[in-house]
Amino acid sequence: MWTLARKLLLHDRLRFAVAIAGVSVSVMLVLVQVGLYFGFMDTASAVIDASRADIWVGKKSNDSFEFATPLDERSYYKVASVPGVERAERVLINFAQFKLANGGDLGAQIVGVDNQPGYKPMLAPWNVIAGDARRLTEPGAIAVDRSEYPKLGIDRVGHVTEVSGVRAEVVALTSGIRSFTTSPIVFTDIRTARSFMPQLGTESVTYVLVKVAPGQRVADVQARINALPHLAAYTRSEMSSRTRSYWSSRTGVGAGFFTTAVLGIIVGFVVVGQILYSGTLQYIREYGTLKAMGARNSAVVKVILSQAMISAALGFAVGAPLAMGMRAAMKGANLTVALSPELYAVTFVITAVMCAFAALLSIVKVLRLDPASVFKS
Amino acid sequence: MTAALAFSDSLLGPAPAPDSLARLVNIGKTYGTGEHAVAALSNATLDIRRGEVTLIEGPSGSGKTTLISILGLLLTPTSGEVWIEGKNVTGLGERALPGLRARNFGFVFQGFNLFPALTALENVTMAIQMKDPRAKDAKGEARRLLDLVGLGPRIHHLPADLSGGQKQRVAIARALGGNPPILVGDEPTAALDTKTALSVMELLRELASTSGRAVVVVTHDPRLERFADRVVRVEDGFIQSITSARSNV
Repeated sequence: MWTLARKLLLHDRLRFAVAIAGVSVSVMLVLVQVGLYFGFMDTASAVIDASRADIWVGKKSNDSFEFATPLDERSYYKVASVPGVERAERVLINFAQFKLANGGDLGAQIVGVDNQPGYKPMLAPWNVIAGDARRLTEPGAIAVDRSEYPKLGIDRVGHVTEVSGVRAEVVALTSGIRSFTTSPIVFTDIRTARSFMPQLGTESVTYVLVKVAPGQRVADVQARINALPHLAAYTRSEMSSRTRSYWSSRTGVGAGFFTTAVLGIIVGFVVVGQILYSGTLQYIREYGTLKAMGARNSAVVKVILSQAMISAALGFAVGAPLAMGMRAAMKGANLTVALSPELYAVTFVITAVMCAFAALLSIVKVLRLDPASVFKS
Repeated sequence: MTAALAFSDSLLGPAPAPDSLARLVNIGKTYGTGEHAVAALSNATLDIRRGEVTLIEGPSGSGKTTLISILGLLLTPTSGEVWIEGKNVTGLGERALPGLRARNFGFVFQGFNLFPALTALENVTMAIQMKDPRAKDAKGEARRLLDLVGLGPRIHHLPADLSGGQKQRVAIARALGGNPPILVGDEPTAALDTKTALSVMELLRELASTSGRAVVVVTHDPRLERFADRVVRVEDGFIQSITSARSNV
């Protein structure tokens, strides 16, 4: 069956090339769109995922990680004193104006982390490629990501600028820490962050990060914190999911990417379906002859399904490298296309199912083909 | 011209004769219903015997194609009985028919109906495998059949690289796949020149004589009668005559 299917497909090479092109474009669109979506979602929750906290605590009314309403510092002490909490740290997240070298300003997302003496903070800049993140305890010290260099006009560690009119010095550079919003992420110590955002007061906190004491169940501690008024506690993975869900559903970004991916599937479906159907019509007398001579419907259907699977496999083999090429090209534009082995596997299955469904019209045609029709011309 | 020993199979009863491979008994076929009903075949009785070449002749629309379609289990008769392998198979459902056809019939058509993308060998091999997915050494069997029809040196040629006669020989080899006892040809020589047509008919004649197969051929060409054991004349949906022609071979 495979030999017949392959030869029938390859007999008209132009038509075969069109079929493979259709599947390839479909595969590429699905991989790139879904990969972009996952890339965006990874970016949206990157700061949360990189933390070592067991629990994130914020105000109950918060919807968005970035646009969270601050708490006052008493909340931090309340959380820190909940039984089962080994350690708590404050985090202040908000936006401030970053002074550019050309004299202009750019909104930056300031992440103030709690550097407590003797402890490695639960949230700190990661992927440090230059400078020293430990220097963030120094007043005005900041860490920025290499990908934001052009936007911020920074070219080295030691670059001095102002954030909200306060002196700031770049002491560390990171790689791959990008914001989901257009505002670059700037890591600093919480005390410096407060000086960058005086409007929030000197005792404001956006989140409290919690490390659960050994032997304590995270869920129990989470429940105790949730019992405190106005506070909501989420495990790290819950917080991450909430953030992804917010950006995905509330902004429509998820629907946008998946709509394009579905359009890609529809394009592939139509192209493959049309190609297989015209091929079936071309060989309808030959199929009829086989049926007349006793070939069962299942045998003829296998030939058509084999053609669909060959189209799927070759289309995937071409489309997947195309998607990798697109990923490399998009990296230059600071866009992350998250292509995981799981995504490749799922996309391959989707492609195979798409091609199988595209073959349905052809299958119905041969199933309904009356073998006696071969005598009628 | 054919010797005229008139013989009517309509005198036969339903019980198969020892050399009978298939039998049609009082077959009728009507297309449509009510006012639009058209009787394509009426009261047709015919015995298909081992080792015989039977020609079916008649004008267009006379019912020849309907007759061989019913014989080949491709069409269900409106009335009458079809006997194959000594059994009445008239009422059998669609599930049983492909297997019966695969075991009993090979078909040859005017248009050859070969897959253009497959070589002669592949066309025959694939038909053998489709008839019986468990067939052992289908390729070896296909080679043997192509040798038998005289196409040994051209087994790797595509149909486009073969002459009309050679294509028909491939089609005959394909029809022989699975070793069916009955070969049914629908105008198998109509697209061929005289010389090629006669050589193809000679091959069919030889297959009937040497292997004991029954060959049933629908044709408009009276020159083929000299290869036939019997000539069945069909007109207006009736078998008008069955003439023994063996003495002329």
